[in-house]
Amino acid sequence: MTMVGDSIARSDAGAKVQGGAMYGVDHREVGMLHGAILRSPVAAGRIVSLDTSAAEALAGVYLVCSAADQPETMAGWVLKDQRLFATGNVRFEGEPIALVVAEDRATALAGVAAIALVIDELPGVDLETACSSEARVIHPDWQSYVPAGGEAADYPRRGNVAAEMRAEPAGVDEAFARAAQVIEDRFTTNRQYQAYLEPKAAVATYADGRYTIHTSVQHPYNVRERVAQLLGVRVSAVRVVGKTIGGGFGGKLDASVEPIAAFAAKLTGRPVKIRNTRTEDILTCPSRENAIVTMRTALDADGVMIARDVTVEMDNGAFSAEMPWLASLPLHILGAIYELAGPTRVISRLWYTNTAPTGAFRGVGGTYLYMALEQHTDHIANTLLVDRLQFRRAHLIHDGSASLSGQVLGDAGILAEGYDELERVAPWQQVLADLKPWQGVGIASGVWMTNPMPGQATVKMNEDGTVHVITGATENGSGALTMGVTQIVAHELGVNAANVYVTMPDTDVSGYDAGSQGSRTTHIVGRAALDAAIEVKRQLFDVAANLLEADPADLTIVDGRVSVVGSPAVSIDIADVANAALWTVGAVAATSSYTSPAIPFDAGCGSGVLFTTMSTPTYHVHMAVVEIDPVTGRVKIVRYVVIQEVGRAINPVGVRGQIQGAVTQGIGLALYESLRIGADCRYLERSLEAYRLPLALDIPEVEIVLMEHPDTNGPFGAKGVAEPAVVFAPAAIINAVSHALGRSITALPVTPEEVLSIIEEIEGEA
Amino acid sequence: MMSVSLNINGRDRSVNVDGADTLLDVLREQVGLLGTKEGCVEGECGACTVLIDGAPVDSCIYAAAAAGGRQVTTIEGLARPGDYSPIQQAFIDGGGVQCGFCTPGFIVTLTALLRRNPDPSRDEINNALSGNICRCTGYSQIIEAALLVAAAATSTPTPAGAVAQ
Ligand code: FES
Ligand code: FES
Repeated sequence: MTMVGDSIARSDAGAKVQGGAMYGVDHREVGMLHGAILRSPVAAGRIVSLDTSAAEALAGVYLVCSAADQPETMAGWVLKDQRLFATGNVRFEGEPIALVVAEDRATALAGVAAIALVIDELPGVDLETACSSEARVIHPDWQSYVPAGGEAADYPRRGNVAAEMRAEPAGVDEAFARAAQVIEDRFTTNRQYQAYLEPKAAVATYADGRYTIHTSVQHPYNVRERVAQLLGVRVSAVRVVGKTIGGGFGGKLDASVEPIAAFAAKLTGRPVKIRNTRTEDILTCPSRENAIVTMRTALDADGVMIARDVTVEMDNGAFSAEMPWLASLPLHILGAIYELAGPTRVISRLWYTNTAPTGAFRGVGGTYLYMALEQHTDHIANTLLVDRLQFRRAHLIHDGSASLSGQVLGDAGILAEGYDELERVAPWQQVLADLKPWQGVGIASGVWMTNPMPGQATVKMNEDGTVHVITGATENGSGALTMGVTQIVAHELGVNAANVYVTMPDTDVSGYDAGSQGSRTTHIVGRAALDAAIEVKRQLFDVAANLLEADPADLTIVDGRVSVVGSPAVSIDIADVANAALWTVGAVAATSSYTSPAIPFDAGCGSGVLFTTMSTPTYHVHMAVVEIDPVTGRVKIVRYVVIQEVGRAINPVGVRGQIQGAVTQGIGLALYESLRIGADCRYLERSLEAYRLPLALDIPEVEIVLMEHPDTNGPFGAKGVAEPAVVFAPAAIINAVSHALGRSITALPVTPEEVLSIIEEIEGEA
Repeated sequence: MMSVSLNINGRDRSVNVDGADTLLDVLREQVGLLGTKEGCVEGECGACTVLIDGAPVDSCIYAAAAAGGRQVTTIEGLARPGDYSPIQQAFIDGGGVQCGFCTPGFIVTLTALLRRNPDPSRDEINNALSGNICRCTGYSQIIEAALLVAAAATSTPTPAGAVAQ
């Protein structure tokens, strides 16, 4: 029986197609009250007065609370710069100011409407203002903030600069001084909203000094820590119980409504539910950051790239979540595909602004960094009159190339293999020759990583021969648990995948897990579960060897029966082995943990490098062919090809779903989705009607070629799969649009209006 | 408050509603049918799709009072408990489900399409799905599930998307 490599159905599909799956927003408790949050209507200002008496007087209102009631503690994922409620000042539209808890949601909302709030509004600071002038300091107390990891974990930051990473090798300025020409581009990208279909929600209860929170989050242990920090209690006083997750894509890694619900549960003594409206969700979600990327490349008289100089300004929003860590990303991306004959300087800065805190969205900043790098690469090739594909191939990194942080990429030659695969399925000259008017083709390629953070799994054999996998990992919809880990354990134990049950996370029960992020679950948790399964198998064989009077080394499990290799007639059901074990060695179970090994890097590569290497790298080549409708400005994707290294495809249908879905999100970022920040620092898009998401009509059937170079550490060779395709899609599409129009594209997304204005510009020049 | 009688998944029942109550509120909060999802409450995402007299509607913008005397079918009413309709089975087999939050809406919408048009083209499926957003799948495996049911229906006498009674 083979399980790994089979496209078996995911174990949660039945309930999901019948409407039986219960998500965070569906959870309810007996005696539950409902909370609604008064959020700041403006981006910046001083709270002059907050009169909650009218709300308190409403029939059915149980509690009104605000900053005056909150514990004196600070909280944050990387830096402790946050409180439960806005205290004195508001710093972004949507920041919680007060909570009303009532017997039903309508009354709670009426209570919020009855609060009299006076704010002395200040002009908001946006990214352009923050990084181009002497802007007002958004956190005058920034020096007093302490990193979550303690004082020793502090990193370069000052005033509105929430984090700064500088890698400044010698010789950059000298190279630019002697350059024959300099290619320079400036790119901007707007925010992208995760737009998971299930808005955030949580139900909290309080008893015996402990908080229990039912919620659908990607990283229960992180939410547990945030709740504990904000409430000023130790982490073990908080229990987070996972529910089915209605999508997350990074937007559900950190706490949102959970701490406030927990606070209210204690104050009322009743279960409290809080759920976001879609508008609240958009206003407060840690969207993919907006950014400005400036890229300059020095070329000598022979067209050789002798130096590069890159500056990235990223919008942190009003508080730091995961972003200080992500400010190191440009260092890894910008040196990791094309080799230069000289140094690259990278400076990235993360700026506090009066906007919602930004965060991780699948592919994080890789999306716009690769778009900038690949558009810039096309710009260089076109300037040198060299074919864009040839230029790329001539400069590709190879086995043993080092990244800008000094990480040796031992298998980077897979990138060239990816180009060979692309040539096989889409011969370049043929693709160029087949282009029709208003069509263009774009290529993007590079390296991505698999998040290395730790995870644990317990595998226990039930008395009926079925298997439970107990883990704090989360099934965010990707199938990493319901296909990946399930199949890995089934395969190793020789049981049917339908007999393997992966539990929902519960921080009181399951071991630590770093959450569904960075394609880590199948790789990390799959490895932990595999190691535990191997130990479970050893225990089973020890017991079975006695029962079968055989040597454990001669045993195997096939179809749920332990048998002697070579004599299948000598066999016993694993259920009987598991039962026998209860009365001898004890219940059959094992726990194992895994985290990716640390990777050597050059500690002198720069300052403020909070994340230093790319774990378990994978390699990717994408090609997009687009067609532009010159009348409507609409860009249609005519063809899309993904060549992706996956290590080992545990479930091909699942892998395909991840790639198709990730490309779709990349198409959204390239062509439609834009969360714009207005002059008053408030979002212009505030509903799913205004925020244009890709529909079935917009999406091509993606052609996928998988490359499999099994990873020595990954379970059955698996590497991260789900995230990378979104990273390269905007770059490939923007290069194709640029090719079709014969113009550089310098802003994400390129909407139909944008396309029309470029066409007008071209016609104006003609 | 007024009393409204309607038929939900084959059962007659009456509910008390006021003018502002949506059908989605009544289904989820009064009737306890949580399979119909709420993604936006603005008629954009389709997660709340139900059938009213066989036609798909966004229940989040449909006044509960207007459902009086009508047949409402939710995701829970498309197959016998423990059973799957052909389109449900095709979603399971072909990777049409990821997080699943959009899934009830897609399945209800496609059930209506396949009853109206047992052999839809890819374009007809895309058009029928123009009111349903899926953030996870990129749609391909959903569209293929519908095409698979259509192909099976045209080669056998069983009507596609048939409802178990
Ligand atoms: S909840 Fe009704 S369309 Fe989104
Ligand atoms: S499966 Fe998640 S939104 Fe469609």
